[in-house]
Amino acid sequence: MTALTVTAACKTYGAVPVLTDVGLSVAAGSLTAVLGPSGCGKTTLLRCVAGLERLDAGQIRVADSVVEGPGTHVPAHRRRVALVPQEGALFPHLSVADNVGYGLDRAQRRSGRIEEVLVLVGLEGYQRRMPHQLSGGQQQRVALARALAPRPRLVLLDEPFSALDAGLRASLRQDVRQALRRDGATAVLVTHDQAEALSLADHVVVMRAGRVVQDGPPTEVYATPTDHWVARFVGDAVLLTGVVRAGHAHTAIGAAPVHADADGEVTVLLRPEQVRITPIGTPTAGQVTGRVLRHDFHGHDTLTVVRLADGTEVQSRRLNDGPVPATGDAVQVSVRGPVRTWPAGPQPRDAGDPAPSRRAGAGHA
Amino acid sequence: MSRPVLTAAAGIAVVVALLPLGYLLIRVTEAGLDRAAAELLTARVGRLAATSLALAAVVTLACTVLGVGSAFLVTRTDLPAARLFAVLAALPLAVPTYIAAFAWVSAVDDFTGFWPSALVLTLCSYPYVFLPVAAALHRADPAQEDVARSLGHHPWRTFRGVTLPQLRPAIAGGALLVALYVLSDFGAVALLRTDTFTRAVFTAFDLGFDLTGALLLSTVLVALTTVLLIGESLTRRRGARYARLGAGARRPHVRIPLGGRRWPAALMLMVAAALALGVPALNLSRRLAAGVSRPGSLTEIATAAGNSLTVSAAGAVLTMLLALPIGLLVARASGPLAAVVERLSYLTHALPGVVIGLSLVFFGVHVAYPLYQTRWLLTLAYAALFLPLAVAAVSAAAAQAPPALDDVARSLGRRPLRVFITITAPLLTPGIAAGAALVFLTCMKELPATLLLRPTGMDTLATELWGHTGVAAYAAAAPYAALLVLLSAVPAWFLAARSGALGPEGNR
Amino acid sequence: MGPSRTRLALVTALSAAVLSGMAACGDGPASEPGDKKVMLYSGRNEALIKPLLDKFTQQTGIEIEARYGTTAQMAAQLAEEGDRSPAEAFLSQDAGALGAVNKKGLLAPLPPEVGAKVPATYRAQDGNWVGVTARSRVLVHNPTLVKAEELPSSVFDLTDARWKGKVAIAPTNGSFQAFVTGVRLQHGEAKAKEFFTALKANDVQILENNIAIVEAVDAGKVPVGLVNHYYLGEIAKERGTTPDKLNAKLHFFAPGDTGAMVNVSGIGVLRRSGTDPDVRALVDFLLSAEAQTDFAQRTFEYPLVAGAPAPAYVPPLADLKVPAIDLNDLDTLEASIALIKAAGLTP
Repeated sequence: MTALTVTAACKTYGAVPVLTDVGLSVAAGSLTAVLGPSGCGKTTLLRCVAGLERLDAGQIRVADSVVEGPGTHVPAHRRRVALVPQEGALFPHLSVADNVGYGLDRAQRRSGRIEEVLVLVGLEGYQRRMPHQLSGGQQQRVALARALAPRPRLVLLDEPFSALDAGLRASLRQDVRQALRRDGATAVLVTHDQAEALSLADHVVVMRAGRVVQDGPPTEVYATPTDHWVARFVGDAVLLTGVVRAGHAHTAIGAAPVHADADGEVTVLLRPEQVRITPIGTPTAGQVTGRVLRHDFHGHDTLTVVRLADGTEVQSRRLNDGPVPATGDAVQVSVRGPVRTWPAGPQPRDAGDPAPSRRAGAGHA
Repeated sequence: MSRPVLTAAAGIAVVVALLPLGYLLIRVTEAGLDRAAAELLTARVGRLAATSLALAAVVTLACTVLGVGSAFLVTRTDLPAARLFAVLAALPLAVPTYIAAFAWVSAVDDFTGFWPSALVLTLCSYPYVFLPVAAALHRADPAQEDVARSLGHHPWRTFRGVTLPQLRPAIAGGALLVALYVLSDFGAVALLRTDTFTRAVFTAFDLGFDLTGALLLSTVLVALTTVLLIGESLTRRRGARYARLGAGARRPHVRIPLGGRRWPAALMLMVAAALALGVPALNLSRRLAAGVSRPGSLTEIATAAGNSLTVSAAGAVLTMLLALPIGLLVARASGPLAAVVERLSYLTHALPGVVIGLSLVFFGVHVAYPLYQTRWLLTLAYAALFLPLAVAAVSAAAAQAPPALDDVARSLGRRPLRVFITITAPLLTPGIAAGAALVFLTCMKELPATLLLRPTGMDTLATELWGHTGVAAYAAAAPYAALLVLLSAVPAWFLAARSGALGPEGNR
Repeated sequence: MGPSRTRLALVTALSAAVLSGMAACGDGPASEPGDKKVMLYSGRNEALIKPLLDKFTQQTGIEIEARYGTTAQMAAQLAEEGDRSPAEAFLSQDAGALGAVNKKGLLAPLPPEVGAKVPATYRAQDGNWVGVTARSRVLVHNPTLVKAEELPSSVFDLTDARWKGKVAIAPTNGSFQAFVTGVRLQHGEAKAKEFFTALKANDVQILENNIAIVEAVDAGKVPVGLVNHYYLGEIAKERGTTPDKLNAKLHFFAPGDTGAMVNVSGIGVLRRSGTDPDVRALVDFLLSAEAQTDFAQRTFEYPLVAGAPAPAYVPPLADLKVPAIDLNDLDTLEASIALIKAAGLTP
């Protein structure tokens, strides 16, 4: 069953288009992430779904009813679409229990639902606290509990983790996903953080400049991005030129199987974990070799940048389970397939800042 | 509240605020262009405008220095008895300028002219700057100041570079109220003999029953106000209006140690309080002791006090009801419409009370005759007079209830009205109460419009005071003056408490 | 959501209470002829007038609804109200304001027998208002600063260099403005302009009102000042003494000098109440020997009706050789105001 369907949604602010022909559908019980850089229109989309803003054209259906479309605008309070904004936006004058119970009628409040959702978010016993007595993470948990409490048809999360520090963010993400799952809620998460989108969501919708550019499960978006921009946006990417012959792409660092495509010149996408490096003593002919330029140490893994003899730089990611070549050491480089390729030449929509943002709280759409 | 409802309600409020302007327009049109030119295109008008503007500029500057300085000392330093000084800095609001000026004239020989007027007006109006700035200092995010200091900035430099810019909206708002107040003040400039526009307007009435001339002169005050409003708009910056709510409990501000300047700073504030409060208090007690006239019976005093309280309370309620939609509109909609609506509510604020009073006489006689010379029309006059005070308070309060809260509440299935009642209104309540307190005590002091519009036979503390001083019965007048100041001191104290300067840091 | 909701309810209830309380206090419509009620606009001070009005009500059973304000602002209010004014009579501080209101056609003619009680000098030519009390212009002086023999016999002497910086006036007051009109009427525009310009050039002290002048003179801050005679009495009363015990003394200018002109306070009846017997009763009362005597004793003003004794400490009105100024002309104000402004005496 589909919990949310957006069809051909368009919206402009003055002369500036913010949503152009946006379409997406969200399966009931799933968590869908709308991923895009600042200003891509994802928050506008979310506000339109919530009923806080109107579309210029297009249609929005929640469950089976049209809530937005030509001649139709169901106001926000009749949509049963609950919002978790950035920084929680708890009602500062209400206790935790009153915040959570805000969307419930009297009978529901007495039914134990408040306690139930507080348990879900791990805040049992916090009923009488006031928002200013909570930490940032706790405030977000309350905001989620408040949204879940009336069992909405859809929960919308607008960059809910962006204001939190990294460690807290990771644990809260998993708790949020768990709470949503256990409650059987359908949720849409808006974020500019690719790691957040890929790790949390069942389904990822990538937006750029008001358009949906890709739509699929996280693995698919990561492994087979539609274009260079998406490739770079959803993760570290090594883009090399190459030639496809007989089902293999041949590049400066070796050959790897490709998914399909005709033979010819191509651009090859390598994810760093597909690039292997092995320490060697002295380079011998026939091997692709390079020297280690630097390491980015991430604890569980390390991203190593290697400069090949011809000057090309490639990144390799490896788990920290063995000896690490030192900076300046010679290494052998090889590729593990399969890889994604595009016909060579400039891409139609290769504009914009392709680097995925890793900065916490760097802004929002 | 939904946007159309809000806009319509704000429209009604603006109409009330602009009633005096409509009246001026009608009368000025009747007078004709020639008469207007003859009255206005004179060297005298130029001189009056220069004096008025100079006085407004000097007083505004002095109030800013005194208001910001005392707010900073009281909220951010280890000043001794900081809470006491916070109350003392708010209390001058309770002293009408005519009482203060009278006290000074009696106490100091030859205490007349421009600079004495500037002094008395400064002492009476610096709370307009002190209160919002103290509140803003209390609210400001300590994290930013911590950052600045961690980067090696001296606390004073941090204040100048980081804190002061955040205070700009509060300072500009307070300064605007001071400037408009100075333009409209009659009490001080009359007794201290400074030739400002408002004094000229009153003189035109008193000297020759010259209604048309007086109204023509008043139009210049509206023009001066427009200039001030544009000036203030230019200093405004967008943004930085959201209440901070997010990363957990707020830490208290670090109080800057004053070291050797601790006692001199306290002494300075003590002197300001003594000049603003002590001089009038001494004079009142001296007059009471020296004279033989006695006020009416206790019943009469109680009746006057009761009347003052009820009409002022009604004025405060109505003014707040009208200010709410404007303040909300300003906080919710950032477009030019909201800005214009807000500015319009200030437009007639510099007009003298007698002109507002006469415009309501005109309105009452021609439009709302059943209300004429009832408390209702007087209440409406108070609203027209003091709407900007209330709008400023509501706008500041509305920033404490960011629109995100409305969005969330609606997404949880609550209708707009319900959202307003359960979320917006409770969050605005403290701000509304502060605005109401300010309007209330300003109504208590108001005289010219009250004289023109009060129901026949109704005396307030201010009218009794006026009546008794009119026949030199100072001893009879003193209890009314004292009661007026004391009753106004309650809301003034409340305002000091509201600013956060009194409470422990970081608590609700 | 306990406390905040309670607070909101409290605020709402309080507002409702205040507003409904006001509704209960709403005032009824204006009074009808013969209903034993008079609506009086008084430009004269409540403390002075109220006791007399109470006495009137006691005697006649006619209730007075009195509205107090400054004479000038009440004249403006009456002008704005026009025919819809609730006022039935206007008690004015001076003849000029009565003239201004009369010029707007707002006053009804008084019966001839009412006017006849008062000398013709002190009432309207068209019979639309009548003087109630008279006050003389005087020079208040402090004998320790000015010797009696040095006091001028004419107000025009005050422009002499020896009075430089020693004279106080209150040019925004109606009494001064009437005095300016008097000078104009008696001596012509040119002489008047010359005099007031010279007065300004002689460093005249400008004070807010007559009381401030008398207090300043009494305290020795200013040697002399131009005021109405009765302010000395008011201040003496406030200090619990009699005028002769004050430092400040009154000096009357020579007979016939403009400085010795006499102005009146007076009453006019609004048009729609021209035949209201209650209003007529009030006018008659104010001109009765009883009220006139009361004025003389309590406010130190001159009675205008024969039979009432003159106030103490001042020469009788009959002894003042009043200059030949027609009080009906006191409403020709524009020229006087222009002159006061031109002389630089007011903003």
